[in-house]
Amino acid sequence: MSAPGTAITPDVGWRQKHLLDVDVLSLAEIELVMRTTDAMKEVLARPISKVPALRGTNVTILFYEASTRTRVSFEVAAKNLSADVVNIAASSSSVTKGESLVDTIRTVEALGADMIVMRHGTSGAPYLAAEVFSGSILNGGDGWHAHPSQALLDLYTMRAHLGEVRGKKVVILGDVLHSRVARSNVWSLTAAGADLWICGPTTILRGFDAWARRWTGGGAPGHAGFTVTSDVHAALQDADVVMALRLQRERMDAGLLPSLREYAARFGLTRERLAFAKPTALVMHPGPMNEGVEIAADVAILDRSVITEQVTNGVAVRMALLYLLAGGHPEAVTNA
Amino acid sequence: MPDLRVGETVGLLEISRAWLVDPVAEREGPGEIVVRDGILEAVTWLSGQAVHGVNPGGILVMPGFLDLHVHLREPGNEDAETVASGLAAAAHGGFTTVCAMPNTTPVADEPGVLAQVAAAAAASGSPVELLAHGAVTVGRAGERLAALGELADAGVVGFSDDGSPIKSAVILRNALLYAGMLGLPIVEHAEDPTLTAGAEASEGLVATILGLKGWPAAAEVSAVERAIAILDSVRADAPGARLHLTHLSVAGALDAVRRAKAAGLPVTCDVTPHHLGFTDEWVAGARRWAWEALDGAGMARDPWADGALVTHPYATACRVNPPLRGAADAAACLASLIDGTADAVVTDHAPHTAVDKETEFGLAVNGISGVETAFGVLLAAVLAGKLPLARAVAALTVGPASVLGARPGRRGATRGLLVGAPADLVVIDAGVGWQVTRDALASRGKNTPLLGRELPGRILFTVALGRLAYRDADA
Repeated sequence: MSAPGTAITPDVGWRQKHLLDVDVLSLAEIELVMRTTDAMKEVLARPISKVPALRGTNVTILFYEASTRTRVSFEVAAKNLSADVVNIAASSSSVTKGESLVDTIRTVEALGADMIVMRHGTSGAPYLAAEVFSGSILNGGDGWHAHPSQALLDLYTMRAHLGEVRGKKVVILGDVLHSRVARSNVWSLTAAGADLWICGPTTILRGFDAWARRWTGGGAPGHAGFTVTSDVHAALQDADVVMALRLQRERMDAGLLPSLREYAARFGLTRERLAFAKPTALVMHPGPMNEGVEIAADVAILDRSVITEQVTNGVAVRMALLYLLAGGHPEAVTNA
Repeated sequence: MPDLRVGETVGLLEISRAWLVDPVAEREGPGEIVVRDGILEAVTWLSGQAVHGVNPGGILVMPGFLDLHVHLREPGNEDAETVASGLAAAAHGGFTTVCAMPNTTPVADEPGVLAQVAAAAAASGSPVELLAHGAVTVGRAGERLAALGELADAGVVGFSDDGSPIKSAVILRNALLYAGMLGLPIVEHAEDPTLTAGAEASEGLVATILGLKGWPAAAEVSAVERAIAILDSVRADAPGARLHLTHLSVAGALDAVRRAKAAGLPVTCDVTPHHLGFTDEWVAGARRWAWEALDGAGMARDPWADGALVTHPYATACRVNPPLRGAADAAACLASLIDGTADAVVTDHAPHTAVDKETEFGLAVNGISGVETAFGVLLAAVLAGKLPLARAVAALTVGPASVLGARPGRRGATRGLLVGAPADLVVIDAGVGWQVTRDALASRGKNTPLLGRELPGRILFTVALGRLAYRDADA
């Protein structure tokens, strides 16, 4: 699924010890993830979708926030690579007794963890963990900041359908202010040369205009760019991809929005609104969905909705990331 | 003075061929000083052939510094700092007088707490003068006025609920009136807490990219404007009312003070070394000085684009209230020192334990341990050509002294090189630097983003009212 025309040196190395965000990844490293994901998809297509690549490696999944799909996706990915998986939900650990993150990481390391997949409600927490842990930290989502495996699976899914995202109009619609998915997607999509549009009510776009201003000269449809707008029709016009983000009820309490009903009426992804996009436009959502709020139920199940495919690709992308962080090489996967 | 120890009277100290700075006389140049038996016996300004080779890049002699805003944590948080360690740190920073903020545990809202602090200062043996601000409200809770009159009788130099703003406009008005009657300033930490609830980093590109809750400039500007409006309204009733706005960090707040001063209002303000020297991009992992983070057009550079990110993001040593701001606001802080809008530089020295800082950025306490690095940051600005040396020195001496006003009957330094008075001065080698390390810091608080960095200007001697407060190991 590598982008045609993109130069890839076959021996390009993976330089990362940790995966904390996509901002530090070179284009070549992103391509390496995509290629390795292709190999993992092949593994998943086998009758026995399991390879011994991470045999003897302890992958500890340390989640400080409730999560179903990301946690299970990482767990399935690690098991497909034959890793030993330890699951720690922070609510059932000594964290509730007041143990600090640093102490928890040291304890997990002492218990034998080689890699930690971490989800935390505070932006930047994995960077602190990476300072004290001698193995690799894989960020499974931190606060509002980053969700690199999600951004990479989103990119993989887009490329699977569009071939190449360079110049394609990708719209992220919804609560970007509180979204780690949106932030990581900004890095990967601008790096990939997409014409990125971010759209939502002004109260939950705040700050993103400054980020968009870093890309000067872009913005014209069909070209690499980064546009922030509250004009949902302008955003959706001729879009190639529309990604809706979850809207949480807490946003009303914070005075950011009048009501869910008003949000759905003005910004919800309905069939009528989607008609502004290209007829082939992909519909995406990182989940979990609030059907009837940010996305209409009949939109989520359209043929061009790739929401469940995102979940499937998520396993392959996470296998690729675990494999690369463990020092693996994509060409070796099938022989592993 | 080979065997002289801290606390002892300086028998004889002669500094020849140095660069003297006297902010009282508004004079600087080559000269020599002699201290004998604790008294500044002679100050000689050199001329002719003798000045050859003497310049501000070598040995500097200037009056001891005065810090209007430090947190010494005693009583209550002696694991973060004690009066003794705080005074040692101050001396290492060239300060001979510091004013402690009252947000201890218990709060210094009545004279008993002040007596405890004064006893600790006396027991420390440090000659650094310790002054104190009293709380404005009981327990700093913002509801009832503290024992302002009794605190004044006990010798406080001002009142502050620092760490928090005075939320109630009525309490702020009454505090200005009552403190005005006592002839003392209200030292206000200007922040609208409704705009900063949960805030983590200055609102802007860095906070957006890092997913940190934005801390808007408007929270400070609106609080400053409110305080100035209230001050204006009480002047007729309380001619002695004075407002001092501490640790201002944004251009809009400094503009408001500039206008208020032009209108003749009795308002003063200060800025910190970290707000003029560091920027919010430090939270993202940059470590260049604020003046290096501006492009030719005065716009903030993009550290993600120009390779300025040199260390990991989310260092909790960069977490402070108010937050580190953008490069344009830092430049406004520097400009306010040059045009006199800011009367003083204060360190807001805020030592914390490793436990309180070695945590997630969003959960870390606010504050930078800064009393030992303040002069080095200002000297870096001087060496970069961004700040005249005389302004830097004035902001550490006569500037803060003027905020305190006349203090009749009190001992204390003149903040000038006054012959015949007890020697109160600092001797610095501007030509050599020092490495900011945990061991190099006398403070118990090692929470500074300068750790590991070389700062210009090694402090050789600090002499406080005739007694040795600090000497460099090699001096």
